[in-house]
Amino acid sequence: MQIPYATYPVGNSLYPLALDLFVPTVFFFFLGASYRVFRYLVTYQKPFIPYPSSELRQVSSWNKIANLVNTFANSSRVGIKRKPVTTGVGLLFHIALVLIIFLLAQHMVFWAYYIPPYSALFPLAIPESSEDGLLALTTPNHASITEFVHDIWGPLTVILNGQFLTFFLIIFLGIYLGHKLLLAIEGLSLRAGDWWFFVLLYIDILLGFFATAHIPSNVYWYDNLLGAHILVAEIIIATLPFTRGFHMFEFYLGKVREWYFMVYRRGEK
Amino acid sequence: MSVTMGQESINLDALKRAIDDVFYSQIDSTILYYLQSCVNCKACEAACPFTPTSLKYSPVNKAEIARQLYRSRFTVWGKTIGRIIGGSKKYLNLEEAETMADYVWHCTNCGACMFVCPMAIDSGALIDLLRQVAFRAGMAPKIYTDIEQLEVSGKYWDIPVFRDAWNNLILKMKEVIGKDIPLDKKNSEVLFYASIYEAMVYPDVLVKVAKILDMLGKDWTFMSKPLGIRPPVGLVIGDKEGALNVMKKVYAYFTEMSPKYVMLTAGGFEYPALRYTMHEVLKVQPKYEVVHVTELLAKWYEAKEFEIEPIDEVITWHDPCQLGRRGGVFEAPRVLMKALSKNFKELPSHGVNSFCCSRGGGGCGLPSMVENMAKVIGIPISEKDKKFLDSTLEPLIKAGKIKVNEINKIKASEVLTGCPVCIESIGFSIDYYHANAKVNHIIELLADRIKVTKK
Repeated sequence: MQIPYATYPVGNSLYPLALDLFVPTVFFFFLGASYRVFRYLVTYQKPFIPYPSSELRQVSSWNKIANLVNTFANSSRVGIKRKPVTTGVGLLFHIALVLIIFLLAQHMVFWAYYIPPYSALFPLAIPESSEDGLLALTTPNHASITEFVHDIWGPLTVILNGQFLTFFLIIFLGIYLGHKLLLAIEGLSLRAGDWWFFVLLYIDILLGFFATAHIPSNVYWYDNLLGAHILVAEIIIATLPFTRGFHMFEFYLGKVREWYFMVYRRGEK
Repeated sequence: MSVTMGQESINLDALKRAIDDVFYSQIDSTILYYLQSCVNCKACEAACPFTPTSLKYSPVNKAEIARQLYRSRFTVWGKTIGRIIGGSKKYLNLEEAETMADYVWHCTNCGACMFVCPMAIDSGALIDLLRQVAFRAGMAPKIYTDIEQLEVSGKYWDIPVFRDAWNNLILKMKEVIGKDIPLDKKNSEVLFYASIYEAMVYPDVLVKVAKILDMLGKDWTFMSKPLGIRPPVGLVIGDKEGALNVMKKVYAYFTEMSPKYVMLTAGGFEYPALRYTMHEVLKVQPKYEVVHVTELLAKWYEAKEFEIEPIDEVITWHDPCQLGRRGGVFEAPRVLMKALSKNFKELPSHGVNSFCCSRGGGGCGLPSMVENMAKVIGIPISEKDKKFLDSTLEPLIKAGKIKVNEINKIKASEVLTGCPVCIESIGFSIDYYHANAKVNHIIELLADRIKVTKK
């Protein structure tokens, strides 16, 4: 694919290649995810419920809902109390990652291209930097003299901007990787999947940062860095069903299952 | 092939067969989820009573052996490059087998890890798979298998010290009530269920329960002889078949007696085993309901059948893992505790996050208690058994410190609970750390403070 960009032949960079591979990536993801779901279906056994009802276990609907919230919150609550550092780092890392993937202005443009209704979220877009609310791609990368951004985030843009979140991710993901190294030294369980997912993610964040920050500052590198950023993201997406990354989907399954069996069914058997 | 290390002997061929049997026969969607969805975040470390001893005993680290065996059989990368980079193992070598044997006895299957796991993975269920492997391969401690076999074979009733304990218990009940107690009576409202183990460790609690039932004028019955030592012991040492046989006998008795409620005073593994597992495994819907004594008493208290004379002291409730997390009984004890004292305070870790006492399940009771029981029933304790039992002491001391710190923090003078093993282990910790508190079964305090309002 040849995309004209002024007089520069973009088609010679990794960027168009990455764009071309996005649809096959999604296809591979769904193939893998279907395989994973299929395995659950073929091994599923309907649980036998011995007590159809219990006069001693009447749990109000309100209690059940409150417990559903608690089911999702309990892990973080206990973690903050007993393992404050790793839990805190983990939570902040997740928040930053989710914000940057789904609400960073550049990413939103990308998602909206493939899923047009996504553009409804544009008012929530997080700008690339706190200096202005415009895409770095179209603005000079120096201190802006324009007015402060006028978006929904208001003064929060000092924190909620692509650069800040990226630094955040680089530091916290670095702590996580360092933690993994310590575990390896202590001889505790580590899996190839830990390294695969985290190292790829780390590389991808760095590539995204270098591209948007224009390091090095020329358009040839920009296209290749952006292309590489998308390509690495595609590798992550395509392999998600076979890595720990799939927890972003299974998390809900696990927690709802826990709630159903440990709260709902316990009260209704 | 049998490999001997020092005095230890592991049959690696038997181990291979056991691994294949367990892993090819027990993978369902739930276990599959537990095996493949762990993100190794190690959040479970925070909940496990064995992690203070060593991080190697964290749930995720212990369960990793199960995951390695699973990957080798059920995943593409596990079958291919996983083997090269150590991500999967078809079988275990001697050192790995010893590690597995060590790990499985450092898990009480308390379920705390599941509630703090962001993915809701029950690592205890995976460690239980390994425990089954260990049992089938003949790697379970002999002292446990000997006790369990007595229960499975039914020969426990031939042991004089057990018969005496049971018969004395019945005599004591008669003495306290002042009349004969109903034995094996069919169709009564409450079948008061107890095991030999309880008759040995807290006969007074059982007698007080009988007294309460009599005071309240309930239609109840007791067992002329127990259904096991602590049935089904097989479940906690990895003998599923043995446990199944015992559960069949228990179910047959419950069905024959046909009460409305089968009431337990023990909130250890017996509670979920007899309430849920037994019926799930046998695929039967019972006409009775298995309940803990606190559930029935809370119900009767709320129906104003009796009042409770409160005390002023600060008291607290320790949620037994199996009664609470596994069994779903949280509210009923609190109804009684709040009535017992206006100064009822929760432990910092309570409810689904209750910190396990580190015994029960794979912890299998206090080492001194197991040793004493073996002695009285004539099971010889080998050097290997002694070494094993001694090795279980450190986790008890480490977990006990956390529990005692929590008790001290709320300045509770009395910890009440509903499980014999919790009482033993928390009592041990209180003594060990010279805490200014005592631990008892809730019945101990409740029985003398009940004032009957209607019959």
